Amino acid sequence: MVGSPVLFIAVPLLAAFLIPLLGFVWKESVRILPGLVLLYLLILSVTLMGQVMQSGTIVEVIAGWSPPWGINLVFSPLTGFLTTLMILMGFIIWIYSYRFKNVDFHEAVKYFILLLLMITGSVGIVLTGDIFNQFVFIEITSISAYALTAFYKGRDSAEASFKYLMIGSLSSMFLLLAIVLIYSQLGTLNMADIALKAHLMKPEFKILALIFFLTGLGIEAEIFPLNGWAPDVYSQAPAPVAAAFSGIVVKAGVYAIIRVIFTLFDVSGTHQFLIIAGIITLIIAEMAAIKQERLKRMLAYSSIGQMGLVLVAFGIGTEEGIFAALFLMLNHAIIKPLLFLSGSYLVYHSKDKFINETDGMAKHIPLTSFLFALGAVAIVGMPPFAGFWSKWFVLSAAAHANMILVIALVLFVSIVELVYYFRVVNRIYFFPKRKEIEPKKPTINALIAMGMLGIFILVIGFYPDSVTGYLHSASHSLLEKGKYIQDVLSIGQSLTH
Amino acid sequence: MNMIFILFAVLLGGALLTFFSNKVSGLLRDIFFLLTVLAAGVFFYLFIKKGDTVSFSLAGLNLQWGLNAFGWYFSLIVLGLSTLAAFYALAYMRGKERLGYFYFNFLVSILSMLGILMSRDLVSFFVFWEIMTWSSYFIVIYNGKNVQRNGINYIIFSTIGAYAMLTAIVLVYTNTDSLIISDMITSYPQFTPVLQIFVPILFLMAFSVKAAMMPLHVWAPDAYSNSPMAYSSVFSGALSKMGIYGMIIVFVTMISYLPDSTWFKEIFAWLGAITAIMGTLWAVSQDDARKLLAYSSIAQLGYIITGVAIGTELAMLSALFLAVLHGLFKGALFMAVGAIERQTGTVNFTEVTGLIRKMPWTFIASLLAIIALAGIPPLGGFVGKWMLYESLINSNHYILVIAIFFASTAAFLYCYKFLFGFFLGQEEKEWEHVKEAPALMVVPMMILAIGTVVLGTFPGIILKPADIAMQSLGYAPTEGHLWSMSVLFNEWGDQVLLKPLVYAIAGIFLFFLILLTVKGWKTMRYVTTKDISSSGEVPLEDENLTFSINFFQPFMRAAGPVMKKRMITYYREFGKAIDILFDFTRRIYNGNGQTYAIYVMIFLVILLLLKNNLFG
Amino acid sequence: MGEILQYTWGAIVSFVLAFFVGITYMGLSRIVTARVQNRIGPPWYQNFFDVFKLFSKDTSIHHGIMHHMGPAFMMVTAVMSLLIIPIFNGGSFFTNLNFHGDLIFLIYIMVFGPLGMALGAGQTGNPNSAIGVTRGLSQIVGFEIPWVMALVALMIQYKTTSIVDLMNIQAETGKWLMFTSPFAFIAAVLAMLGMFRYAPFDIVGAPQELASGPMSENGGKYLFVMMSSGAVFAFAKLTLYVDIFMGGANNLIILVVKTFILYMIPVLYGIVSPRYRTEQSVRFFWGWPTLFGLLAILQAAFL
Repeated sequence: MVGSPVLFIAVPLLAAFLIPLLGFVWKESVRILPGLVLLYLLILSVTLMGQVMQSGTIVEVIAGWSPPWGINLVFSPLTGFLTTLMILMGFIIWIYSYRFKNVDFHEAVKYFILLLLMITGSVGIVLTGDIFNQFVFIEITSISAYALTAFYKGRDSAEASFKYLMIGSLSSMFLLLAIVLIYSQLGTLNMADIALKAHLMKPEFKILALIFFLTGLGIEAEIFPLNGWAPDVYSQAPAPVAAAFSGIVVKAGVYAIIRVIFTLFDVSGTHQFLIIAGIITLIIAEMAAIKQERLKRMLAYSSIGQMGLVLVAFGIGTEEGIFAALFLMLNHAIIKPLLFLSGSYLVYHSKDKFINETDGMAKHIPLTSFLFALGAVAIVGMPPFAGFWSKWFVLSAAAHANMILVIALVLFVSIVELVYYFRVVNRIYFFPKRKEIEPKKPTINALIAMGMLGIFILVIGFYPDSVTGYLHSASHSLLEKGKYIQDVLSIGQSLTH
Repeated sequence: MNMIFILFAVLLGGALLTFFSNKVSGLLRDIFFLLTVLAAGVFFYLFIKKGDTVSFSLAGLNLQWGLNAFGWYFSLIVLGLSTLAAFYALAYMRGKERLGYFYFNFLVSILSMLGILMSRDLVSFFVFWEIMTWSSYFIVIYNGKNVQRNGINYIIFSTIGAYAMLTAIVLVYTNTDSLIISDMITSYPQFTPVLQIFVPILFLMAFSVKAAMMPLHVWAPDAYSNSPMAYSSVFSGALSKMGIYGMIIVFVTMISYLPDSTWFKEIFAWLGAITAIMGTLWAVSQDDARKLLAYSSIAQLGYIITGVAIGTELAMLSALFLAVLHGLFKGALFMAVGAIERQTGTVNFTEVTGLIRKMPWTFIASLLAIIALAGIPPLGGFVGKWMLYESLINSNHYILVIAIFFASTAAFLYCYKFLFGFFLGQEEKEWEHVKEAPALMVVPMMILAIGTVVLGTFPGIILKPADIAMQSLGYAPTEGHLWSMSVLFNEWGDQVLLKPLVYAIAGIFLFFLILLTVKGWKTMRYVTTKDISSSGEVPLEDENLTFSINFFQPFMRAAGPVMKKRMITYYREFGKAIDILFDFTRRIYNGNGQTYAIYVMIFLVILLLLKNNLFG
Repeated sequence: MGEILQYTWGAIVSFVLAFFVGITYMGLSRIVTARVQNRIGPPWYQNFFDVFKLFSKDTSIHHGIMHHMGPAFMMVTAVMSLLIIPIFNGGSFFTNLNFHGDLIFLIYIMVFGPLGMALGAGQTGNPNSAIGVTRGLSQIVGFEIPWVMALVALMIQYKTTSIVDLMNIQAETGKWLMFTSPFAFIAAVLAMLGMFRYAPFDIVGAPQELASGPMSENGGKYLFVMMSSGAVFAFAKLTLYVDIFMGGANNLIILVVKTFILYMIPVLYGIVSPRYRTEQSVRFFWGWPTLFGLLAILQAAFL
């Protein structure tokens, strides 16, 4: 045992508290410490992942309270995969933002603490096996996200943050309602235990709880029409934060909703709901994206649309569909942050961040532009880049499930997506450059971060087998509800005995 | 390591080397570029044998690459034309920007075309198809003119086609559980009737986009004319043939097995013919040589599509022959336009005239290519046209043959316009400084032009591999009863013996040429184009006598009614309608937090109201 | 070697024959025109004088290599069609290249010359020439349609694309194709009006306004070759019509009579016609003649 899943929560929390203290001793440590923590967690998660792939799910019980009474962390192939992904993204975002707020020490302290907390919260959402605990992690994530959104303290970012806060509090309320409903019915908060006993619930309560869950988590997972906050937040938050939202936080939200649907309840019709909600989200977001005039907003809508597609893929419900959905999440987690990170440099010089202010930027910052173009080409699913494979698997899963309409819609939307991404790429490369602007050159650490993402895109694109193994066992583990219950509860039994 | 992998490694590695060496030195970049193309060509013909296959697994999918005679035939076009265009490009692109970028995409598109020809499974086919799309897209927008319109048009249409194909691939995959193309072909007769119709239609959508068939051709005029001419020759000559390649496979292996495939073939044959007619008419009305050639390419591809759709032995033979030939003459013509563009700075017929004495080699190449294009004996174009007509007549397509004939007769107009506009007519002072293009540009186009001449007398050189390619598709051997080295037969047994005809033509021409030259040799003298009798008067030196504006006005008046509506206007209107929808959708996000909160509540209420319908 | 000599000999003899007959027809047409217009007209051999005069002219100027070669292109068309088209029935005499090409080849070789000459005319730099050429080419696109339709109708009706086969069919059945395929004949004759470029389709040359159009910069030997090729080509075309529609000819006299009657159609039609503008003439050919061509094809396909 190299380490336990509990370290994923404990270490960064500890680090978050240590950062300001260490900052008094050595200012640079504020920047270095999160990176070290994330790197350590990355190594840990990769090791654990290898272990899980071989010997099965690791269930960690906190404070000796065995499930279903105590809080437990489940490191299954699925959650492990998502954890690894999130921590990896967190690490890359850390590299990118290493020099963030270089001059303003206090701001930097705030930023790194909040970022670390947000990552911890998201990882916690994924790892936890307890719905109330999950609620707590959602709150941790959300609160740090509100703060990070308003980080620039401008009028617009404050407004965005406030919107987020408002909708987020609605989310919390519904989640709490759902949890209360379940607890009142079943007297348990452990996911495995709820899953085991779900059939004991009165159907109307069960469905009501499900609807509250869907609404509450739908807000986190950016389902239409619950995603009104998202474009504002994405566009107003600092670039690394927006990247973290799209690469980490949303993934956690989607995971939560998937866990509820696939494991918690045995209600039929949820898959159709996912497909319908996903498709509507996808179409509306992409249609809105094409009409955006600001780069970050466009990326935000695109991100929402992608999450819709992920939901559709989950909704197909077959193992292939889940595999495709996870692949999509992986790709989206890699590509969208790249777009946010590189995109922010493209419009760095501009106050309004209009797309048409990126004209000819390739002449100013060629490498960043190239990476943005790479991301754009990859996300619209052009082979041989990463996005193609996920698109292929989504379509193939849909076809196997006989959902021709889904295929048609997905492809239609892809064309819309293609248009607005290529419009930007064309601008960057082929419009005459504006002389008067002085674009900010990306720092070396930002380039390293973006370059890493670019390399991931190429590696997955040319050799998808590098990840498909993990994805297969992850998708397998999501479907095996019985095994999940057994894994979690057997630990409890072994502890009590 | 399989040879096929090495080929792709060579091309990809070469492309990357070219791209990165651009930073080091221009010469190094050019060398790498040329070496890569040559190495790929040599390697391909030396080490890759017909019948080679290699299987591997990627992302859990079983993929297979390999080469058959049919793919080999098309690789002839791709590699042959690309090699010449590569030489040409070195001179043509000299001094331009972003050469690393251009050469990289050039090489990648060669790679993708070879990949398409060597894909034995649908996923690789699609992957290479898309690589071809984006690599060509990046060259289409290279010039940076109107990128948003031209480039986006191209990419939208290509992608619509590609996604149609992707849908078909996914459908096939679900139904046969195999991605190997031959498996698809063998199990096609067992498909459900709906699938039997839709799979080929979806595939054909993709292929018709690349082959610029009406009504999916809208992207082509802009895309062909806006790429650098060095690439346009490959684009129109070889890349568009990938559409033809796919079409042939679909028609031969799928459509023929449809219970009543006749109507299907008729529709496509007619679409091809309409493409040819409209392409030709629009070509006649162009003043920009690049546009003219672009429309002409569309028209020429229309003939090929008709031949493919008819699908008799002779028709298919003619389609394959025309495919090569179109590569030859259109390659040469685009190169010629490129040469003129480079030497004079314009490609507009209304601006540049009388280059014949300044750019004689370019003129000769253009002349030969144009004669081949027009289908006039004794050059190769005639052979292709002859086979096409005869196959149409033999297979009882009476009206169709008239339509094709109309298109190819009207093609004389733009052929003449091309030659007259650039090379003939008044020799203006403005263009006196123009020099012949460098040898690196002239030689490739001359080689292509001479190719058309050789094929005019000895079409067997190309018909032989075409025949082998057709045999690999399941056709009976046609050598001997439809063609031999320089004899053509139709299915009724009528024949054209090319050799005596060609010799007679050459003989008569030479005889009278000598007569004209020798007689009065001493008193014969050259006078400038200013020294003419215009209505009985000798014009003044500064009098403008150039005739190039509204060149075919009377004809355009006659043909006007059919050209009133353009396909693109319909697409534009459709686009506008969609845009309104998008705009409406965008307004859902009005930026108001209260509205968003209301959305949440509405969502909740809807779920609660519909809970019995949604969840059970 | 013997074969080549035989071809050469055949070509020379047919050329001489066609030259004389063609030039004579030109002269005769001038007389006919004059008589209709109540004039006397030149003697029938006037055109021989004209041609001879042109040939013996000494000085000639040219505007470049294409201009120099233009008349030779024209001659290729004239002589090649003469060689492809059987002059007499039976085929033992003057076979030339009859069996080496078919109707499609003929259609194409017939436009070879005009296009070549158009290039020559283009290089002169005379705007009138270029204008004439654009008109001429437009007109070709016009009349080729009914012309090809007529030929295609014949081809599909008799399942052959060979001229000799068509003649043999007429010889076997004893019926001229102009009676068995009347619509094809009508379409072909209407197309012929355009081919011969007499009024109302003479806007190409338009002597008054374009100064003879494409020919305007030619003189001396160039005009000589052009005129003689015109004569030879006219004869070849007439022979073709006789061959495929009127049962061919067994001897020279029948040939001359039949071709002369045919020749009078465009000449007489031209005398009483004003001139069409280019688009009018193009539309004319796409109108009634094409309709007849269509009828011919329908007849061939369904009867």
